[in-house]
Amino acid sequence: MIMRNLTDVEIIESVKKGNQADYAVLIDRYKNKAFTMLKRMLKNDFDAEEVLMDCFLKAYNNLNAFKFESKFSTWFYRIVYNSALTKISNAKRKIESEMSSVDDLPQLESKFLADDFIKEDNTILIKKIINELPPKNAAVVTMFYLEEFSTEEISDVLKISVANVKVILHRSRNLLREIIEKRNLVQEIL
Amino acid sequence: MKNINDDLLNRFIDKELSIDENKIVHNAIENLPDIKKRYEFLLKVHLLLKDIKSESPSMEFSKLVMNKISKHSIIESQQKRFMLIVLSFLGIIILGIVGYIFSQTINTIHLNSSNETITTYSNTIGDYFSALFGKKNLSIFGSVLSFIMLVSGYFLYDYQKHSKKKFSH
Repeated sequence: MIMRNLTDVEIIESVKKGNQADYAVLIDRYKNKAFTMLKRMLKNDFDAEEVLMDCFLKAYNNLNAFKFESKFSTWFYRIVYNSALTKISNAKRKIESEMSSVDDLPQLESKFLADDFIKEDNTILIKKIINELPPKNAAVVTMFYLEEFSTEEISDVLKISVANVKVILHRSRNLLREIIEKRNLVQEIL
Repeated sequence: MKNINDDLLNRFIDKELSIDENKIVHNAIENLPDIKKRYEFLLKVHLLLKDIKSESPSMEFSKLVMNKISKHSIIESQQKRFMLIVLSFLGIIILGIVGYIFSQTINTIHLNSSNETITTYSNTIGDYFSALFGKKNLSIFGSVLSFIMLVSGYFLYDYQKHSKKKFSH
């Protein structure tokens, strides 16, 4: 119980000293929010969990390289974000090689039909709408709203300028508004 | 009146506008129904996003990660131990060869003058090396040494590759 009140830095120092089991506290601290971000980016539970596991292993293996120059959360989310991008590019390459013709492509875009949204719980509905955001936008939205990262911290994770983070954030809101309008979900959601 | 676009409305929601810009946007929202509608829609989206709840991976997730970490640590320490054994074995062989050559050299040379001793030493060592790697012993000795070198080389390469991969993340 005492362990739960320790800061990330104190836990990392303890793990570095050889208390391997303390790493579980960090896992419990970050697993849900990182999983949510990965799920929004990768669009499915299985890949999100697989990548998240890999991220925690990577972070553990490189803990000695972590010099406390930034917050652990920023460092860890960078690992999560980059791993998700790698997974997406690998999946894209696989789909492209498996695709028999270009005509198959529009079928992928039609996976969210207006009928799917009818009479669904509002929370699920919102989740589905957010899932329509491109991976980068989904990552920014999750870090900003769920992790409550500042735009500066997000820019540090994504390695882009603060202005670009704001642009992505604003575009994401506009995009969500367009999706809601397009699907005629104004009444259901608002 | 300045054109009130979505970017301005978004910055108004995030409280990023200057006092003057803020006044302009505020007035526009108050007086223009179209702007008011767009603003309220964006604000609602902003509030919906604020309501996002985090989701959880499977119940056993933390346990699975910790198991993987401990398995990984065991494998890593086993690899290190194996490398140490191979390298010490190689070291012992090399030390043995050098020791044997020196003992043979010392036994064959007794009381000589200093200059002659150095010459004789180098000649004798040279002779031993040529005998060791000569036609007679080369096939057996060489094969054993090459095998050991190959095995240890492979594990050294594997270990280096593993370490490099670890740091590349």
